[in-house]
Amino acid sequence: MPYFNKSPWIIHYDASSCNGCDIEVLACLTPVYDVERFGIINTGNPKHADILVITGSVNEQNKEVIQNIYAQMPDPKAVVAIGACASSGGIFSECYNVGGGVDSVLPVDVYVPGCAARPEAIIDGVVKALGVLTEKRRKFKSMSSGLEHLEITAAGIEDAEQILILQKLAFQSEAEIYNDFNLSPLKQTLEELKADFKSKLFLKAVMDGRIVGSVRASLEDGVLHIGRLVVHPTYQNLGIGRKLMRAVELEFPAAGDYEVFTGHKSKRNIFFYKQLGYKPFKSARVSDKRDRIYLQKPGKKEEE
Amino acid sequence: MKTFIALLVYLIAAPVAGGLISGFDRKLTARMQGRIGPPLLQPFFDVFKLMDKEELVVRRSQNFYILFFLIFAVFSGGLFFTGGDLLLVIFAFTLAGIFFVLGGYKASSPYSFVGSNRELLQMVSYEPAVLLSAIGMYMVTGSFSVSDIISFPGQLIVMLPGLFISFFFILAVKFRKSPFDISTSHHGHQEIVKGITTEFSGRALAMIEVAHWYELVLVLGLLYLFFAYKPAAGVAACLISYFLVVLIDNVFARVKWQMLMAVSWSAALLLGFGNILVLYFIPR
Repeated sequence: MPYFNKSPWIIHYDASSCNGCDIEVLACLTPVYDVERFGIINTGNPKHADILVITGSVNEQNKEVIQNIYAQMPDPKAVVAIGACASSGGIFSECYNVGGGVDSVLPVDVYVPGCAARPEAIIDGVVKALGVLTEKRRKFKSMSSGLEHLEITAAGIEDAEQILILQKLAFQSEAEIYNDFNLSPLKQTLEELKADFKSKLFLKAVMDGRIVGSVRASLEDGVLHIGRLVVHPTYQNLGIGRKLMRAVELEFPAAGDYEVFTGHKSKRNIFFYKQLGYKPFKSARVSDKRDRIYLQKPGKKEEE
Repeated sequence: MKTFIALLVYLIAAPVAGGLISGFDRKLTARMQGRIGPPLLQPFFDVFKLMDKEELVVRRSQNFYILFFLIFAVFSGGLFFTGGDLLLVIFAFTLAGIFFVLGGYKASSPYSFVGSNRELLQMVSYEPAVLLSAIGMYMVTGSFSVSDIISFPGQLIVMLPGLFISFFFILAVKFRKSPFDISTSHHGHQEIVKGITTEFSGRALAMIEVAHWYELVLVLGLLYLFFAYKPAAGVAACLISYFLVVLIDNVFARVKWQMLMAVSWSAALLLGFGNILVLYFIPR
């Protein structure tokens, strides 16, 4: 049930506003306009907020702050740019220190014009953003059920940076299991990863223009070594890993065997591979904290 | 069988009642500020929305503590409303609070850290009054069992006026309301962002909210015990006390934690302990 339009919590950020729009935003909270009638609350905490309301143009100093606030908000979320400056940079757009409107750093959903924007217009803008939120939630849900927007393709060297970030994020849970933060996936540098592109095939899973999963594999003596299967923590348990595995196996139909490995305490990984038909066949010690379990699955050719 | 039905009614009715009371609270607060305020069901809308949000965590384990906070808040209320042992209720209730604090600490952001520290201080400041109330009730009725206390022939408030006042005093602390809303606060006041709940989002925040509803009902239940002889008087006392808490919330600014400790402990020691001393010397 869409309760988003009944309880939108906003966070207000003053980028480099002249305070005209800020005062109008605050006016919305006063008894005259009383936005709490619609369940709107000004939270001041990005982790509780649904809508990011920004006044003023973006300058070099607050660019990162804005992106940081946005990144800390849980999905689904919407951005409303209030006033001429937030929409386009306004009269400050030509200044040497101004980068432009909010849309130069974030995807803006609703623009509220005005200098300063009137409280009625601000409330209207937030109400418009509610529609966006509801729509985003629907997308979010359909993604988690049908994964319609997921696209798996080969990754190029230009994706290396994003894949490395994803890898470090995804292996965090593994590091927690073994209490070992020196795992090789966490230590890999960008240069090493780029060098991998020469010997291995990289696949990426892209959702809404963002890489959410990746896997790499190389064929040696008829055995396909599949490794570093990573899925963004938010998108785990949605079947993306399974799809990546299937895709990488299909890329090498000629392979005699498929081989993966994981740590001995990573029960979830072992379970996951077993479900895909892999069977553990050997284990090796890699450090005093961790054994490596190798799992194997015969290729299609041998089955026939 | 009767206990089972009571438990079932409690499990379903308590969050509904708690949510309605906090909706009523928000409406009342808005009216006191000359606003119209949100609909009565707003707290439920908020919680249902939070259930649908993504859950961001600093550490995964922080949400486990919140789960136990909810479980123990429900458990202590369940004990209370099925007529269990009052002391056990209070200890389980304290444990629930401790889990909440641990969750805040686990999130290890400066704001939730400060909030957790202050939540501990709040617990330290309200605990004596709650415990002394239980002891006072025992001294009058001769039992710690809630069912015995309820069936005691006579108004406890007549014998325990000092304890009642000290208990009323800590309502604002327990409900995290001004002037004692130091661990977390209304959304409007943001100097420690949202205190102990800063790092919780999505379902975890919804759980905190629901646990607060259970807490609210339990604390009002404890207050009801003072008037249990006449149920109508008990309900009226709960409503009037809550109204006063909301009124005080809107009238007062926040105090520092030193003031919180000084005031709540003096109330508990002077009025509460004094009451018990007097009881001790009254021949019955």
